[in-house]
Parts: sequence; C-alpha cells; structure tokens
Amino acid sequence: MKPTVTERVKETTVGRSIFRVPDRQTPRERAEGHWANFFLHLYPVKIRREELGFRYSWYLGVISLTLFVSLIVSGVYLMFFYVPSPTTAYGNIQFLQTSVPFGQFIRNVHRWSAHLMVVAVMAHMAKVFYRGAYKPPREFNWVIGVVLLVLTLLMSFTGYLLPWDQLAYWAITVGTSLAAYVPFVGKQVSQLLLGGPQVSSATLLRFYVLHVAMLPVILVMAIVIHLWRWRKDGTLDPGGELDV
Amino acid sequence: MSEEPRIVDGSRVLGVVPGKPAVGEEKIPARQRLVFVWPHLLVRHAVASLGVLLFVLAVSLVFDAPLREIANPMSTPNPEKAPWYFVGLQELLSHLHPMIAGVLLPGLIVIGLVALPYIDRNPQKRARYRKVAVWTFTLFLVAWLAATIIGFAFRGPDWTWVWPWNGWYGEL
Ligand code: HEM
Repeated sequence: MKPTVTERVKETTVGRSIFRVPDRQTPRERAEGHWANFFLHLYPVKIRREELGFRYSWYLGVISLTLFVSLIVSGVYLMFFYVPSPTTAYGNIQFLQTSVPFGQFIRNVHRWSAHLMVVAVMAHMAKVFYRGAYKPPREFNWVIGVVLLVLTLLMSFTGYLLPWDQLAYWAITVGTSLAAYVPFVGKQVSQLLLGGPQVSSATLLRFYVLHVAMLPVILVMAIVIHLWRWRKDGTLDPGGELDV
Repeated sequence: MSEEPRIVDGSRVLGVVPGKPAVGEEKIPARQRLVFVWPHLLVRHAVASLGVLLFVLAVSLVFDAPLREIANPMSTPNPEKAPWYFVGLQELLSHLHPMIAGVLLPGLIVIGLVALPYIDRNPQKRARYRKVAVWTFTLFLVAWLAATIIGFAFRGPDWTWVWPWNGWYGEL
C-alpha cells in the first residue's frame, strides 16, 4: 500500500521530532496512546456505539462546554479594558465598544455565549432526564450536574451587573431583593451579597471578584469532576433509553 | 472450526473441544459494542463544537449586546425585570408571598433536582415504563417555561399584562 501524506510527513526528520512514538496500529496500542494523552485523559478510551449519535445526547454537554470555553476566551479579552468601579465601569464598556479593536464584537460574543450557555445547560439537563441517564450508576454525576447548573446561573447573574447600566443595576436589584426574605438571616444574606443596604460600588466589586475569579475556578473544577465521572460511569453500562 | 487454537506462552493445549463456548455465545447488539472515542466520538464533538462556535460568531456579527444609560439609583425603570432565567420566579412573585416564591420554591427546586435520582429508584429508562417521573418532570418544565415566557414577554409597566405586539419589555 502506498503511504499516505500524513505517513510521509511523519517519516521526515521534523515529523519524527513531533510525533514521539511511531504510529499506533493495533487496538491495544491505540488504547494506550489515548490513555497516555494529556488532552484526552478526561475522555473514555472507548464508548458504546450508540452514544456517538445525535439522538443520544444532542451533543448538549459538549455544546455547554464549548460555550464555556468561548466565554473564558472572550472574557479574558474584556478584562483588559474593564475596571470594576461605578466611576469607570460604564465608560470602560463604551470605550470598548467604540475604540477597542473588535471590542464590540468580543463583547457580543461574551454576552450571547452567556445566554446560550444557560439555555444549553438546561437543555442538557432535560435531555439527560428524558434519557433516564441519571439512574445508577450515574446518580452522583446528576448531582454534580445540578451544582453546575447553579454555578452557571450564578456566573451569568454576577456578570450581568458589570456593565453598570440601568439594565444591569435594576435587574440585580430585583434579583437580590429576594435575599431579604430568607428566614431569620435575610438581612445578613442581603448584606453579604450587596456589601451594603443596596447595590453599590461594594456590590460591583464583590460581583466582579465572584465573576472572574471564584466562580470560574469552582466551575472548572466541577466540570472536570463531571467529565471524569462521565468517563468512569460510562463505558460498559447502558446510559439511557436507547439501550433498553 | 474457524480459528486456530491459540497457545499462550507457558501453557499447553490439552485438547480442543469443537462447538460453542460453555458459557454461551456473547450477544452484544451492534449499538452497544465499544468503539474508540478517537476518532469516532471526537470528530463528532469537534463538529458540534465548531457548529456552535460559528453560530455564536454569526449572531455576534449581527446583533449587538445591549447597553442602556449609565446606572442611576434615583431612577427606577418600569417595569423592573430580573434576567430572563429568573423572570419566571419574578412572575410567581407577583402571585405568591415573596417568602414562598423567592426563597422556598427555588430552594425546593434545587433540593428536588439533587434528590431526584435517589427518589426515583425505578430502573426502567424508557419513557413508557416511567410515566410518573416523566409526567412530573414535564409538568414542572412546562410550568417553568410558561412562567418565564409570560414574565419575559407579556409583562409591562407595573407588571401588568401587555401583549408582545402592543409593547415589548423583554431584555437580554
Ligand atoms: C457547565 C455545565 C455542564 C457541562 C459543561 C456538562 C458537560 C457534560 C458532558 C461533556 C457530558 C458528556 C456527554 C454529553 O456530551 O452529553 C455530560 C454528561 C452528563 N451530564 Fe453534564 N454538563 C453540564 C451540566 C449538567 C447538568 C446541569 C446536569 C444535570 C443536572 C448534567 C448531568 C449529566 C449526566 C448525568 C451525564 C452523563 C450522561 C451519560 O453518561 O449518558 N450535566 N455532561
């Protein structure tokens, strides 16, 4: 058989310097290769054929993950131009939209990815429910999923305040006003969230820190555990109604 | 006999018995056979991923993220709406005591979701064998969707009913 282009590239000096080991041929070699690959280690080596199809998951888990990555990339860009203070925040966004290269576009990407991620995560949950994929041995991964849903909502909610426009200010005012009704400790919860009696510069700083530091770190860790459990729970056990 | 008997290092073949294995033939339906994640699943994930990304980029070229006037604590807009994913709760808030709609209900929803796999111990996965679970979940889903859509698109100043074509107050 004639060698393919890829095979020929791999034979060159440069090719061999990049691809550390020769081509993996047998199933065993391929499995070992997958297992040893850092980027793939959250994935299982093998899955049941039915899990490949669109019908199984509608790919909503991966879609949620993609949107999250898009949010990190666009969000880091926004951070270069944003200072979380009532005197600067709004002006920063205006400057971003009018004077920063791709500023408006990147802000759009961040905003629409955020809304879509909430939709995707909810849809993923519904799909998992209707497929019955929360049943043993996957119960705990469902629980981690609920944590992910709550974290996703919190990410979105804390980000909503940051532009410091009327939309942001009053949406967060309504949202946080509910905290006051928590029995017994309502006042304290409200104080903790807002850093005062109403949405103010303290709130903006708190939400900013939550939005760009605390929540993303927790969310990344929770996603990693979620994918690890998916790998562990998945391989041999039927994961939904398609197997029955 | 289709296959030659295989001799593993350190073993001797004592005899070869023709026929089927004593434990019976393993019958795994094709859809449950294992396939390699690379490339079979990963190419599909890559396509799904790129598809979503392209969609987001396209939407972002066409629609700009909203930016209203600078925040003004002295001027409350009317209506005052929560972000869309909480607007369903806000809609309930206009009918129920805030303690119920704002604290008890969200708390129960989260607790209910966490507890779901431990309450529903029915091992069946097909919808027709788990009618109670499917109906309950669907009922909640529809109620939540309805409350969200009403709060988002059908509520105007002072939270009065406004048909979307008579006035639009939803904000993203
Ligand atoms: C940040 C949010 C989330 C991300 C990034 C995420 C990601 C994923 C991914 C990539 C998978 C692999 C299969 C697939 O593509 O569908 C998966 C499976 C799963 N997810 Fe999520 N997920 C999230 C939220 C949730 C939520 C809210 C729930 C439910 C409450 C959930 C429950 C599950 C379960 C039970 C599985 C295993 C399904 C199976 O093995 O058949 N996830 N998730």
